[in-house]
Amino acid sequence: MLKSTYKPSAAALQPLPPGWTEHKAPTGHTYYYNAETKESTYKRPTAALPPAPLAAPLPVPQINLSDPNVANAFMSQYAAAAAPPPQSGRGGFGGAPGRGGFQPRPRPQPIDKPRSKVAIPGCEPWILVYTKYGRRFAYNPTKNASYWRIPEKLMPAILELDQARIRQKAAGADKTTNDEPKDSNDEPKEATVAPRPGTAPPKKEHDYDSSEYEEVEVTDDEDENEDGSAPKRQRTEEPGADGPVEFTEADIAAQLAAMGAEYGDDDDEEMGDYDEHEPETAPLSDHDARELFKDMLDDYRISPYSPWEKLIEEGKVFDDPRYTVLTTMRARREVWEEWSRARLQALKDQRAKQEGRDPRIAYLAFLQEKATPKLYWPEFRRKYKREDAMRDPKLPDKDRERWYREHINRLKLPASTLKTDLKKLLESVPPAQLNRDTQLQNLPAQVLTDIRYISLDPQVRDPFVEGYIQGLPPAPTGEDGAKEEETEATRKARDERRKRERALEERERAVAEEKRRLERRVQIERARLREEERELERAMVVGKRGLQSQLVGAAEGKVVSGSGSGSGGEMNKTDKTDKEEEE
Amino acid sequence: MPAIRPASKRKPPPEGFEDIEDDLLIFSNKMKDAQNAPTDNIPKHQAQWPIFQISHQRSRYIYELYYEKEAISKQLYDWLLKNGYADAMLIAKWKKQGYEKLCCLRCIQTKETNFNSTCICRVPRTGLKEDQEVQCVSCGCRGCASSD
Repeated sequence: MLKSTYKPSAAALQPLPPGWTEHKAPTGHTYYYNAETKESTYKRPTAALPPAPLAAPLPVPQINLSDPNVANAFMSQYAAAAAPPPQSGRGGFGGAPGRGGFQPRPRPQPIDKPRSKVAIPGCEPWILVYTKYGRRFAYNPTKNASYWRIPEKLMPAILELDQARIRQKAAGADKTTNDEPKDSNDEPKEATVAPRPGTAPPKKEHDYDSSEYEEVEVTDDEDENEDGSAPKRQRTEEPGADGPVEFTEADIAAQLAAMGAEYGDDDDEEMGDYDEHEPETAPLSDHDARELFKDMLDDYRISPYSPWEKLIEEGKVFDDPRYTVLTTMRARREVWEEWSRARLQALKDQRAKQEGRDPRIAYLAFLQEKATPKLYWPEFRRKYKREDAMRDPKLPDKDRERWYREHINRLKLPASTLKTDLKKLLESVPPAQLNRDTQLQNLPAQVLTDIRYISLDPQVRDPFVEGYIQGLPPAPTGEDGAKEEETEATRKARDERRKRERALEERERAVAEEKRRLERRVQIERARLREEERELERAMVVGKRGLQSQLVGAAEGKVVSGSGSGSGGEMNKTDKTDKEEEE
Repeated sequence: MPAIRPASKRKPPPEGFEDIEDDLLIFSNKMKDAQNAPTDNIPKHQAQWPIFQISHQRSRYIYELYYEKEAISKQLYDWLLKNGYADAMLIAKWKKQGYEKLCCLRCIQTKETNFNSTCICRVPRTGLKEDQEVQCVSCGCRGCASSD
C-alpha cells in the first residue's frame, strides 16, 4: 500500500538521539523532526548526527504549538494516528472527507516532488515552489523552512502573482513560460534531486489557487521519494473520492444494492413495461404461437369437454413457456375454444369409427373364454352378471342369449367341420382387409365378430389362421399408398411441431438476451443519474469565496477541458469546491 | 309415490355422460361447498351470490357443449336438463337476442322491482357513468348486457 523506499536497518532501530521526535507524514512515511533545530528528515537520525544543542525536548505534550512548523508536524502526526492509512496525500487533516461514503480500497499514495519555483516579489528570500501534482508551498531558503499553508505576510504578494498569471494565461498560452523560475540557486540543500527548472513548466491543467491553504509541512527531504513515480492522473483521482474514473462494476453493484429502495418503483415500472413488450420482439408468427398453445393443451391432456374456468383455476399450464406465447387472456381463450372444438370433433370421428365393433367383439371373446356346454344360458348369465361384457348396455340381452346358444351348439361339432367353417369365413374376407401383412392381433372386425371364429379352440385356431394368412397374396398397393400417406401426414405434423418448438426456444433466448441488455442499460443509467445528482450537490455547496471562486473555477475548467478530457475539467471543479469546504 | 330405485337398477345416463362426468362432479362439489359455507359475516343479500354464480356456470357449460361445440348428444342434453344439471329456463333466455349473457332470471324479472325495471347489471356499460362499478343485488353480477 505505502510505497516507501525507506528500509529500516538495524541501525534504524536504535533509540533516537535527544531532541528528535518521530512522526508520520500524511503520505504514510515516517519522518523525524527536531523541534529545536527545526530540522526534519526521512533518514533516521543516529547518534552520529550532531545532537540538538539544547536539552532534549520531550515528545508531543511539550511541543510548542504556537510555532507553525511544530503545529504542522504535530497535526500531521495527529491525523496520521487518527486515520492510519491516510486518505489523501494533500492535507494533514485527512484531506477531503470521504464524500461518496464508499471507498473500500485505499487509494495509492501520490508521491509528490517539486517541479518549479517562483520568487515571490516583495518578500525576497521566500520562493513559491510548485510540485509535480500542482500543489505549491512557500519556502524560505535562508531559514530552511517551508509551509503548505502560505504565511499571512506572503498572501497579498502571492495573490498578485496568481492574478498576473491568470491574466497572462488569458492573453496567450505561449507567454506562460515567463512564469518559469530561472533561479535554481536557492534550492534547498537537503534536496537530493533538484527541481528541474525550465524542463517542466508549471502545468496549466492544475488549479494552483486551490492549494493555497494546505497545511502540511513538507520538508525538503521529501524530495528523496522521487523514485516512486506516480502517474499524473493520480492528481485528478485523489481529491475527489468518487470520480468517474473509479466507477467500476463493483461500485455500481454496491450502489445499486444501496439505492435499490430509492429507485425500486422505477425499476418495477420498467420491468412491467418490458414484460408488456416482450412478445412483440418475438420472431414467432401468430400461427405458430397458436399452434404452440394448442400443443401445450394436448401435452397436458386437458379434457376438451372441461370448461375454460377449470383450466385457469387448476393453473397447471401457467408454468409452461408456451403459455406466454399468447399475450392476452382473450387470445388464449379463443385458441382454447378453437382447440377444444377440433378435439371434440376428432373424438367424435374416432368414436364413430369404433362404433359397432366393440361390444360384439368383447362379448364373443368373453364367450370363448367362459362358455361351457355345462351351463344353460340363465345359469351362465347369473354366474357372470358382474362382468363388463355381460353388462354392456349396447348389446340387447336377446342377442347375447342367441349367440350363447349358438356357440354352445357349435362346440359339440367335430373339429374338422369347425376348421372348414373357419376357412370359409377367412376366404370371405376381401384381400384388402386380410392379406399377408395382417397381424394375428389385428384381424378385421368381420372375422372377430363371427361366431365361427370363436368356435375353435385358440390353441388350434391361431396356428391355423396364421398358416392361412401366410399363404395369402400381399396386400394390394392402394392400401399401402393410403397407409404411407397417413404416415407422411403424421411425419409432416411432427416436423412442423419441432420447427415451432425450435422457434420458441429461439425466441426465449432472444428474450433473455434482451432482458440482460436492458438490465445493464438500467444499471448504467442509474449510475449516471447518481453521478449527476452528486454533481448537483457539489455545485450547491458554495464556499466562503462564493461566486468568485466558482467563476474562476469555471474559467479554469474550460481551459482544462480544452486541453484535456471533459471529465478532467469536472474533476478540477469538484476539487475546488472541496477545498472551499475545508476553508 | 314412485319407488326409489337403487343405482344399479336405474337407467344409465345416455352415452357421452362419462366424458363430462368429472367436470359436473367438480361443479356439484363447488355447489355443495357454497351451500355449506357459513354466512355469518356476509350481508344477507350476498349470501346467495355464490350459489347463483355456480348454477350459472354449470348451465353455461352445458349450454356451450350442446349448442356451440355440439359435443354432446340431444339425448344427453335432455337427460341433463331433466336431472337438474342445467337451468332450462335460463338457457331458453340465452337463445334470445339481447339475453345472450343473462346472469340470472331474477335480473330480468321486472315485476319484483319498485319501478318495474330490470336489474342494474342489465344496463350496458355505455349507459353507465364513467368508472361506475356495479354489482347487482340478486346474484352479484357485474354486468351482463349483450353489448359489453
